Amino acid sequence: MSLKRTCHHFFAVLAGALLLAGTAIAADYPEKPITLIIPLGAGGSHDVNARVFTSIIPTYLEQPMIVKLMPGAAGQTGTAAAVKAKPDGYTLIFTHNFIDQLQPLLETLPYDTTESLVTVARLNSAPGMIFVNADRPWKTLKEMLDYGRANPGKLKFATSGNWGATMTMGALVMIKEGVDVNYIPYKGGGPANQAVLAGDADFSVNFPGPLLPLEKAGKIRILSFSGKERHKDLPDVPTTEELGIPGSYMERIILAPRAIPEAELQTLRNAFVKMYEDKTFLNMMDKIGETTDYMSGPDYEKVRAQQKVDYQELVKKLSN
Amino acid sequence: MLEHLSEGLSLLMRIDTFVMTGFGLLLGMAVGALPGFTTVMAMAILLPVSFFMDPLVGIPFLIGIYKGGIYGGSIPAILINVPGTGASVATTFEGPALTKKGQSRKALDMALFASVIGDFSSDVFTILLMAPIAALALMVGPPELAAIVLFSLIIISGTTHGVFVKGLIMCAFGIFLSMIGQDPLGGMSRFTFGFFELKSGIPLLPLLIGVFALPEILVAVGDKTTAYIAGNKSIIQGSRLALRELTRCSKTIFRSTGIGIFLGMVPGVGQVVAAFVGYAAAKKASKHPETFGTGELEGIAAAESANNAVNGPTLVPLLTLGIPGDNVTAILLGAFVAQGLRPGPQLMVEQAPLMYALLLAMLFANLLFIILGYLTIPFFARVVSIPKAALLPVTAVFAFAGSYVFRSDPFDLVLLVFFGVFGFIARKLQFDVTPLVMGFILGPILEYSFGQTVNLAGGDMVSYIVLERPIAGVVFVLSVIAAVTILWGNYKKRKKSLAGDLAKNHGD
Repeated sequence: MSLKRTCHHFFAVLAGALLLAGTAIAADYPEKPITLIIPLGAGGSHDVNARVFTSIIPTYLEQPMIVKLMPGAAGQTGTAAAVKAKPDGYTLIFTHNFIDQLQPLLETLPYDTTESLVTVARLNSAPGMIFVNADRPWKTLKEMLDYGRANPGKLKFATSGNWGATMTMGALVMIKEGVDVNYIPYKGGGPANQAVLAGDADFSVNFPGPLLPLEKAGKIRILSFSGKERHKDLPDVPTTEELGIPGSYMERIILAPRAIPEAELQTLRNAFVKMYEDKTFLNMMDKIGETTDYMSGPDYEKVRAQQKVDYQELVKKLSN
Repeated sequence: MLEHLSEGLSLLMRIDTFVMTGFGLLLGMAVGALPGFTTVMAMAILLPVSFFMDPLVGIPFLIGIYKGGIYGGSIPAILINVPGTGASVATTFEGPALTKKGQSRKALDMALFASVIGDFSSDVFTILLMAPIAALALMVGPPELAAIVLFSLIIISGTTHGVFVKGLIMCAFGIFLSMIGQDPLGGMSRFTFGFFELKSGIPLLPLLIGVFALPEILVAVGDKTTAYIAGNKSIIQGSRLALRELTRCSKTIFRSTGIGIFLGMVPGVGQVVAAFVGYAAAKKASKHPETFGTGELEGIAAAESANNAVNGPTLVPLLTLGIPGDNVTAILLGAFVAQGLRPGPQLMVEQAPLMYALLLAMLFANLLFIILGYLTIPFFARVVSIPKAALLPVTAVFAFAGSYVFRSDPFDLVLLVFFGVFGFIARKLQFDVTPLVMGFILGPILEYSFGQTVNLAGGDMVSYIVLERPIAGVVFVLSVIAAVTILWGNYKKRKKSLAGDLAKNHGD
């Protein structure tokens, strides 16, 4: 990465940060800054991911992208705002699959995400891992599940909050395996990890970023990894596919109101494609410990449709 | 460790670190002083900028924003009775009263010195005792948290002024308000009457600004406005803080710092509670508790040193386990990771000199802040010297803008006006709004941790607490003892004053 390029990006970031409009005069879309709604709180992983890509994407859109945090009601406040926004391509939402596809199945919401929102791109996807405190006796997932089956309701599962990402990922496995566990909600993934470390809870689900250093220090044992192949740093941990259990991912996605003009949607999608060839972007994502497995809008639309089917089944089983 | 410290110190001796820390401090102070713009927002926006800097420049820059921001929040709290964050609510107990007395500069100076002393001591404490704090933080789970919050609530309620029953009514109402929205454990909607807008609950800022700042304006409107303006052409800023005024408060600052450090070790309690408890404890210990609430510098010292002393220990779970305890530490986690420093058990070992350099940078940020803060306070204090005719509308603009920018939801403005009118009526009926805010902030923490405890106990609360959670049990017993002591004290005081009244009546 040349110095000039670094400087260039530095100033691009600064310009975006100071909410200054870009200097380029575009003939058509986008001709003003684009608002990116995040339906989650400041400082979370979505916030951090967004700060990275919104600092790079102006290079390809020739307009800044401004983050607007709208937390509340487990993501529903921000989602409602995105659905109601004018479909002119100047309001987008950066959300994840559970807010997008699972929540509408759980309660009556004043919007239908599938009908109202369309995928611009999938930024990345975080693979879930089931882990326990290292002093727990279970060496494999099977041992833990056997214990859980023999002692219904005894296993304590620290979740990141009701129907949050980690609860859903764990529940998918527990239901499939017919294990009755005690779900204990915490305020986010961090406190849930802490509960496992303190021995308050037996297991939880989280992502490689926060878990690998704890595993390396011998504080936790990772029992499964949601991936096609084993994780390069964890050669002994079996994948969910090997174990025959459902893999689970948190998909970070950028959506736009579905009524957006085709040309505008194309411009946005192209900008993300170009950004994924940008070395600085890939570098920064790597530095914050996130994957860069981009998926195009049309491809993710198919994944979304499948999610709807899967989650419907999950909810049906959980409510029985 | 000493060798790592000195190695860290030599790494830190560079001019760009100091320049950027100072820049961060000023930026944080400015952002914190604008109601509605939170320190977390400023840090999140500037996080990517730090990616392009050396770790020893970028991270101290963010730490500067953080430290400056917390102090910045107390500026509008003192000057115009608009607490920018929950942490500065306790500062409004004395700040605006001091401003009215023409001592706004003294108040701002006291807030600065108390903040920096509290913060500095807590940082030193944290650097020296990192491992024990980390061990302690893991011992505090939901049951302990519930017990500690209950204990804090009792201590704080025991010292609110005004009629005790009125305080209880307001506290209960605050807890009720906090329950509107989704219940934290089951995710069910409650008390929303089907309004989607209420589903996310009532946000803190419109409530805070509504009950504290708007009544101020409404009262001014109620008192014949013209007379009000003519009578208060401008408020004087007063002289600066004298050294002896600071030393007079040294005991209070010391006590509050201890309270802040302790509460900082308890994950999930935070600055708001520390400020309240620090203030309550200072009032309780004072020989002249009646001066509290009428513009007592000691009250500012108590609240500000306590909320800043929380900062050091909250970093420990981040540095030792990689677990961020709040939003600020979550952003710092992002900054560390982007620099290739993955916080976790090995970080303090593998990167010892660099980590100690960063910890020392926090101490330097404090020292630098004394100078920068002292130089910029006159600029902020000038705000009150603009004529009242201009100050009141400016306050109103800040109140509305501050409530809006937080979530960008127009519904929050409706809430702001509602709570403004509510606060005005409460003031006219002599109901103190502080217990309301306290219940609103602490209620959910208590509810959540209690709910988790019930879940963890799996149906057998008593044996779970007694056998597996003795610490929680002890704190719970202490709360009961504290409640009884306070009630007994009140009873004796009332009996004494009744007897006094009787004696006086006889004398007539």
